[in-house]
Amino acid sequence: MLWLLAAESRKLIRPLVWGTGLVITGFCLLITWGGANNARAALASPRIPDVCARAVTAPCGQVVTRAHAAARAAASATSLLAQPGEIGHVAAGMFASVPGLLLIAVVAGGHWGGEWGSRTIRQLLSRQGRRSRVLTAKWLTIWAAGVAAMACCWLVLAVAAPVIVAAAGLPAAHVSVWAGLGSSASAIGRASVVLGLFAAVGTAAGVIARGQLATTAITAGTMLLALLLAGMASVGRLSPATFVQAWMDFGTPGYLPTNFWSRFVSGGPPPGELAGLLGMAATGAVAAVVARWRFTADVTV
Amino acid sequence: MDVISCENLTKRFGPAIAVSELDLAVSPGQVYGFLGPNGAGKTTTIRMLLGLIAPSAGQIRLFGRRLPDPRAVAQAGSMIEEPAFYPWMTGRMNLEVLAATGGGCVPGEVDRVLGLVGLGDAARKVKTYSQGMRQRLGIAAAMLGRPPLLIIDEPANGLDPAGIREIRGLLRGLAAEGTTVFLSSHLLAEVEQVCDRVAVIVGGRLVEEGAPAALGAIRRRVRVEVAAADTQAAARLLTRWPARYGNGQFLVEHDSGRDVNGTLLAGGVVAESVTVERPGLEDRFLEITEKEDARAVAAGR
Repeated sequence: MLWLLAAESRKLIRPLVWGTGLVITGFCLLITWGGANNARAALASPRIPDVCARAVTAPCGQVVTRAHAAARAAASATSLLAQPGEIGHVAAGMFASVPGLLLIAVVAGGHWGGEWGSRTIRQLLSRQGRRSRVLTAKWLTIWAAGVAAMACCWLVLAVAAPVIVAAAGLPAAHVSVWAGLGSSASAIGRASVVLGLFAAVGTAAGVIARGQLATTAITAGTMLLALLLAGMASVGRLSPATFVQAWMDFGTPGYLPTNFWSRFVSGGPPPGELAGLLGMAATGAVAAVVARWRFTADVTV
Repeated sequence: MDVISCENLTKRFGPAIAVSELDLAVSPGQVYGFLGPNGAGKTTTIRMLLGLIAPSAGQIRLFGRRLPDPRAVAQAGSMIEEPAFYPWMTGRMNLEVLAATGGGCVPGEVDRVLGLVGLGDAARKVKTYSQGMRQRLGIAAAMLGRPPLLIIDEPANGLDPAGIREIRGLLRGLAAEGTTVFLSSHLLAEVEQVCDRVAVIVGGRLVEEGAPAALGAIRRRVRVEVAAADTQAAARLLTRWPARYGNGQFLVEHDSGRDVNGTLLAGGVVAESVTVERPGLEDRFLEITEKEDARAVAAGR
């Protein structure tokens, strides 16, 4: 099994994988840049009701003061979140939400679905006849690619984000570089579990679709459908997307968003953290059963 | 114990029967030819031998182990149809990954097989390889780890005459060292020159099986054209061999034109032309189906 894992890991060293990781990291940098700029703009001109902007009255004075204080607080929060220790929340949130899902979908397509498209599945299965091992190795390596990309993203953001907020002119955070490292690491750990779920869906999608593009489409489509369902009051609580939301406990995004997930999930109070974890485990188990069942079929490519 | 043993092997794809009640037995150290026209069921049989597709009926044993035992398949090196590789890797990396997939191999093994097929260092990416180079790499991949059984599908595809001769010598050399080679081809000359034993499959059914020289599908025959006045005399002289007359020509089931011509001359008949020919598989198939139809008519069916 270790030899097989080594072989599968080596297959991941390809432009498709690191290119996609680079794009998502670039996206995170862009989000950070945008968030810092928005915070600066809000600091320069806080949101004040029109009536108070024209009239100088005592009540309006209080409104203006509160608006300035809120803008300062938001700017400070953005600045704090952009510190190397804290910025792990952004990396974790991004990879446990839509950007991470897209990364896993693309990697699953190339790394797994592509085995059928390029017909290398014949070599793979005639070398390694234990199909359950092949499935496990594929799942683990797709997951590992996601976790590695998330770690790289955190590293890049840890270096670049403080520079970005300083360049944007936001107030300094005045905290240690390591502040928030523990909670960031915890968020990264939780996001790794979510990436495991995405990878399980991708592995099942590969066996069903048996092609690169179709695998990517089914992986992304399945979870995006789950996200759509999570917004519906009637069935939302049973959607895998709701389980992810409950497990990650995504909060309301500030100027610097920490996820692309929570804004799509509504429909009452989410289930608890444990329920979220169990829900994800059940979803992963369903994906595993589907994958094993479909993988017993003939390989005719 | 037979290396390959198939009993009553049948594969159906919906209503279509790809392989029908096939019985095969391949002894250790043999080069066994599996001959048939395109679409005869050769590749389907090979896929079943490698556990890629499951038989609809019947059973396969490799080294005495009944498939789908993965330990049996692990003892076979294989190349099916046009070999497929990971295009972003070099030829050497592809072999290293394949070796690891099967559980690794001894140091220097990749160099050994690359040397055997004349591919040198294989440092270029596979996407730049010609078809002949891919074919050589496919044969090298099949030989990785010195498997006791080689299953090779159409090894001559894409090779120039020198390459075909080289690979033929390589396969004979492997058989001399004790490797069993199961070789599928649609080329009569190829199997005739390299195989100890041949099975002919047409329309999914085993038509003939035996030593190459004894097979009707391979055996030469002599076509004789005589003047109309000499037809009766020639027919009398040629009775020592099975012969048919049609379209002004005799078709004599004998492999020596010299013998046939000598007999005619001794009887005072001078042939207009004497041609030694080898029937194609399709011709042989038509003959067989004609015979079967005639038998059915005679039986009043």
